[in-house]
Amino acid sequence: MKTEMQHENNSTIVSVSGNVDALTAPDLANAIVDQISQGHVNLVVNLIAVEFMSSAGLRTLLGGVKAARSHGGDLRLISTNPGIDKVLKMSGFHNIAKVFSSQDEAVASFG
Amino acid sequence: MTAKKIALVIGAGSVKCAAALGLWKVLEKENIAFDMIVGCSGGSIYAAAMAMGFSLQECIENTKKLWNRSITQQRNWRALASVLLPGVLNFNHQFSMMSDGPMLRSFQSVFGDKTFADTKIPLYIMATDFETGESISQHEGKLVDALRASVAIPFIWSAWQHNGRLLIDGAVSNPLPVDVPIREGIDIILAMGFQSPLPSRIKSVSRYAFYVNSLMTNNLLNANFAFHNAVHHAEIISIFPEFERSIRLFDTGQIPYVIEQGEKAMSHQLDYVKRLLET
Repeated sequence: MKTEMQHENNSTIVSVSGNVDALTAPDLANAIVDQISQGHVNLVVNLIAVEFMSSAGLRTLLGGVKAARSHGGDLRLISTNPGIDKVLKMSGFHNIAKVFSSQDEAVASFG
Repeated sequence: MTAKKIALVIGAGSVKCAAALGLWKVLEKENIAFDMIVGCSGGSIYAAAMAMGFSLQECIENTKKLWNRSITQQRNWRALASVLLPGVLNFNHQFSMMSDGPMLRSFQSVFGDKTFADTKIPLYIMATDFETGESISQHEGKLVDALRASVAIPFIWSAWQHNGRLLIDGAVSNPLPVDVPIREGIDIILAMGFQSPLPSRIKSVSRYAFYVNSLMTNNLLNANFAFHNAVHHAEIISIFPEFERSIRLFDTGQIPYVIEQGEKAMSHQLDYVKRLLET
């Protein structure tokens, strides 16, 4: 798994690629926590290049949503891979978080 | 380092549950064995056959005997008539459109009087308490009774009395029972789940009931899955085979294709499972 950070307008884009699982999720969690601790609380996690997401990955995203919101921001997702989106839907992410199909839309949602 | 424990959960899904045999085929080649198997509804039949230690080929042959159209050949005419004359013919909670005689004979022909104590791998078979709605993991008693309870699909087969409870289909309360291995302290859970198919046309009362039941079961599956993903200490690996063809309730002719899809879905996760077991 790889993560890349990019700051755009009022938000920070965390682009993730590869597999987000029990072996890699701690790295993603650290990346999210680092951004929040630096005051970047409006996060967009781009999952377009993610190939597999296990329960550990889902827990990390959930933790990120809670952490961002508790600091006055939000964590929003970009998901277009049907396999990943199915897991996100089954896990209720479409109900508790804002999920977009493009980076432009996600960034614009932070105003 | 303590060896990680691995469980297989086969959710409700009628003949699609044969995909679990494809999953098993992939793991068997790698000498990865299960520490426990959990089955729900149609999945309980495959779970029981695997836990009994049957070979892959025996599982295929036996499960064809256990789940095929012949088990729905005998209509329960008295119960059907009781729908029209409920007072006269005493309509009650034991209503079913089908007689369970053929199904019980088929279960008996494969499992006889075997009990949970006879399984080679610890086995849990899910059912739902008809009186309380509680999800029940059956782990004691005769396999035939546990299976009969687990597949007591509402409207099709009647509730079944087992170990002091009146039980119906496990899918009514817990279509993908990943909570059972979580409770038993399992580290790696392979969760093979299936969305209940929605009939394309609603042309009878039974289809209408099936349609609504499928909507509710799918939502329940998602809600349970979401909660357990969030609370498990280790890893749940979801294995959801993709079926390009429509697979109906008793399409046993499609079993080779279904197994192949299970094999493909498991193959995608194999490297990760091996790495997890090594860490």
